[in-house]
Amino acid sequence: MALEVPCPHCGPRPFTEFAFGGEERPVEAADAEADFARVYLSANEEGPRRERWFHALGCRTWFSVARDTTTNGIGRA
Amino acid sequence: MSSLVFEGREVPVLEEDTVASSLYRAGVRTFTRSLKYHRRRSLYCGTGECPNCLVTVDGVPAVRSCVTPAREGMRVERAHGWPSTERDLLHVTDRLHRLMPVGFYYKTFIRPRFAWSLAERVIRRATGLGRLPEEGALGTPTARHLRTEVLIVGAGAAGLGAALDAARAGERVVVCDEAPIGSRLAPGPTLDRVRALEAEVRALAEVQVLDRHAALGVYEGPSVPLAAEDELVQVRAERIVVATGATQTHPVFPGNDLPGIWLGRAASRMVAQNHVPIGERVVVAASTEEGLEHLSALVAAGANIVAAVVPSSVRGEVPDSVATIVDGRVTSAQGRRQVAAVFVGSSEGTRRISCDALVLCLGLAPRDALARMAVDEAVEVIGDAALGEQEPHMHEDGMLCLCEDVSLHDIRQAWDEGYRSSEILKRYTTATMGPCQGAMCGTALACVARDLADSSGMPAQRAGTRTTSRPPARPVPLETLAAAVHEVIEKRTSLHEVHEAAGARLDWSGGWKRPFGYGDRREEYRAVRERVGLMDVGTLGKFLVAGTDAATLVDRMFPTRVRDLEPGRSRYLLSLDEAGYVLDDGLICALDDGDFYLTSTSGGAGRMDARLREWADLLGLHVHLLDRTAELGAINVAGPLARKVLEPLCNDPLDADAFPYPGHREIVVAGVPCRAIRTGFVGELAFELHHPRSRGPELWAALMRGGWAFDILPHGLDALELLRLEKGHLYLGQDTMPDDTPAKLGLSWAVDIGKGWFVGKPALERMASLPASRRLVGLGFDGGPEDTAELRGMPITLDGAVVGRVTSAERSIVLDRAIGLGWIRSAGDGFPTELRAGTAAARVEPTPFYDPEGVRVRG
Amino acid sequence: MVAVLADEAGCDRVTDLPGACRVSPTEVMILGDASVEVLERAVRGDDPDAVVLDVSDGWVLVPLEGPGARDAFTRLSELELPASGFVLGEVARIGARVLVRRGGIDLLVPAMLESHLRERIRRDCRGLVP
Repeated sequence: MALEVPCPHCGPRPFTEFAFGGEERPVEAADAEADFARVYLSANEEGPRRERWFHALGCRTWFSVARDTTTNGIGRA
Repeated sequence: MSSLVFEGREVPVLEEDTVASSLYRAGVRTFTRSLKYHRRRSLYCGTGECPNCLVTVDGVPAVRSCVTPAREGMRVERAHGWPSTERDLLHVTDRLHRLMPVGFYYKTFIRPRFAWSLAERVIRRATGLGRLPEEGALGTPTARHLRTEVLIVGAGAAGLGAALDAARAGERVVVCDEAPIGSRLAPGPTLDRVRALEAEVRALAEVQVLDRHAALGVYEGPSVPLAAEDELVQVRAERIVVATGATQTHPVFPGNDLPGIWLGRAASRMVAQNHVPIGERVVVAASTEEGLEHLSALVAAGANIVAAVVPSSVRGEVPDSVATIVDGRVTSAQGRRQVAAVFVGSSEGTRRISCDALVLCLGLAPRDALARMAVDEAVEVIGDAALGEQEPHMHEDGMLCLCEDVSLHDIRQAWDEGYRSSEILKRYTTATMGPCQGAMCGTALACVARDLADSSGMPAQRAGTRTTSRPPARPVPLETLAAAVHEVIEKRTSLHEVHEAAGARLDWSGGWKRPFGYGDRREEYRAVRERVGLMDVGTLGKFLVAGTDAATLVDRMFPTRVRDLEPGRSRYLLSLDEAGYVLDDGLICALDDGDFYLTSTSGGAGRMDARLREWADLLGLHVHLLDRTAELGAINVAGPLARKVLEPLCNDPLDADAFPYPGHREIVVAGVPCRAIRTGFVGELAFELHHPRSRGPELWAALMRGGWAFDILPHGLDALELLRLEKGHLYLGQDTMPDDTPAKLGLSWAVDIGKGWFVGKPALERMASLPASRRLVGLGFDGGPEDTAELRGMPITLDGAVVGRVTSAERSIVLDRAIGLGWIRSAGDGFPTELRAGTAAARVEPTPFYDPEGVRVRG
Repeated sequence: MVAVLADEAGCDRVTDLPGACRVSPTEVMILGDASVEVLERAVRGDDPDAVVLDVSDGWVLVPLEGPGARDAFTRLSELELPASGFVLGEVARIGARVLVRRGGIDLLVPAMLESHLRERIRRDCRGLVP
């Protein structure tokens, strides 16, 4: 398996060096209802979406990418 | 002279011999028995693609004897048939095939139920491809990574040509082949061409040749794992070229699996290369250019060809000495133990030709398994592998799938039963699911399905697709795949050898090897309660949070009140996720310069570091984070006499006024600089000494020496289990579940709900109005088993209904009674209190059980 | 080994010093005899919050020596190595810092994982490195 994730500092690396941080989403929400949706409901769109990745076995920094969920192609976000 | 041992007798081995040719020369004619009907099978494809030649070599089953070089001293046995391959009583199943129609095993052996285990054992013995070797017959392969620009799979003429082109264009090339180059070709012009190309390729430094490496599949990347006898090579390339060539068509007609029927390459190698005659009356049916090459080779080697069946277009190329049937079609073969006659139909009617060998060269089947696996555009298919779908040779009936004994008749019967596509026919009949994985029969199956769909008026395209190709493309032993699996990662503290020398029982805990005990657990426990004990807690997560926004980060990340934490003070730290669930716990210590020092559980360290970085980034805070877990060890000195041990080793004041609980101080113990943190986990006066990792053994030794006068003992996780339980302290993961909130765990006191926003606060506020569905509570037990620990995991019941579960249970030594922790489901407004756990009566009790006021810890 | 944690500008001040390896935009690792005070002075101008600590205890250097070093490395990691220099990534399933030099490859791993790495080398690199 060889999906590669482009770390902004270290360059493209095998996905096994990373931890996945989920869809990008705001830190806070307007009210309790909105916060429930923010925590539990993912947009889960087909196509490119912004995600958070953590270079766990490398530089240990967090960054965002735009990954296409249908082709697995990853571009810089 | 070389020889191998075949079923107890010596068989000569000549140069160039495969195991198959050596055995065949010695007179072996039945190599295997077919899977279901135990029909005699003999050499057929000669290229390692059909199941007919599988034997056991040196204890390893399912070895393809037709492509395995014979070596001195090999032990070879056949694997099929009972009591022997020659005389197989189970051949009777062939006569009973009417009682064993396709899929019969789905409909029989269902009742009576008990009979199945008996039937299964009998069936297992009667079928299968051999017995697995007892021990390590396959050695221990290693795995390695290889990166290149081009990977070419297949080192035949097309593959080697592509390798030369790529290398001349300046690319780094790896070319692989499952066999030694040229070894699957019979002597002739093709082999000569391949040898010449091989010499050119091997002379180039930019090309790496990996022969005897079989490509298992094409994965995303693209990447291709190659399996060899002693290694697994994981190749990453920028592009892949598939040049795996084509295998020979497996014609389907009645009698097509009789011994004595050969495909062209097998016959011509046996005769022209190994110099073993295949029969005295040979019929050759050749409709391809390659077929004519084989015919010539057989004639040149002196075989007696009694008839050649060829298309009219090449009639002129057949040697005059050979009787020719033009534009004929093989329609069936007859014989008992082997082929005795073949029927050829032509415009002049059907002729019967008696023979003892039939050689078939009726077309090619591209080896496209890898190509069909690849979803990446970076895969190119060249040469014979790119030939595209070929028309199979099929007639009326015959054995479609040699591996699984599935005939054309079986396919039609399954279709009649309602299985109406190639994919479902495959699953129902198991055709293409044997060792060849459809190499021989895949195209035929798709074609049959298409024809049947056509005649039923169904859309043929959908029904008749080639079945999905999946890895592995070649059989691979689990040992080879396991070479790339390295999931066990062991962490050790710097005291590991010290523990070993002290006779500790070391075992896994949270990814570390930790001491569970050093001898007598009760004595170790008593040392802590009555005197002083020592424990290696170097596995704890340890973190520095520094910078202008350090306080802001910890304030917003954790529910704990931190803004009022003064330098030198420490506090219990709870870590929640955004759903309000408890992820981890530890301590937070305020440092002099506005920075903070955090600890976490051993197993949660990696996640704590990741989350600190995540929130610093998300909140845009100016902080610097350092994971000090590896750099620092930690030793807990615990017990009423703890100070007495430390004072002589330390000039810094340790009394309760200068160093109150809870708090931390930088002190020097036995010359080792430490951060001492007063902890309460075991319920006694305790100093957790965080120190430079390299000085751990020195510090431990000094403490053991200093404590000798007080009868100090080291303790491990076994004693810790009871010590902490007597205080009602929970173990994350043992006493908690992933959706436990602070309220469910009785830890609301550790949450400052009144402060500003923190991670998980909105969720906690949302849940505050909901009744708690369950609570973790302290438990006392009466009656019950001798060993209270047996109650762990026991359901808790009220009037027979399950209302909870015991998560921890031990017999308290200091209290002399059975205690535990567990969760209880709420009942209306509160929680039931009089319960049962197995044979014990249980009641909910407040915690801590021991020293509820915490006097001993604060001393 | 000294860890320098500072803003990008601060890190840029020390990133070209001998023995310096840029782990991330905000972290530099300095190998060899480096003075914590000197480094602090160098970076605190740009980032008064900068943290400079001797973390030698936290890391262990395990060298792969000799002509078989690169081959041995392919048995431990998928990383593509430069001809010389520094790279960080997965080695033997753990996060490691790798220095490629003349005559060999130095693997720096967290101290608690030293035995794990040595065992992998022993098991998978037999005959390739001493």
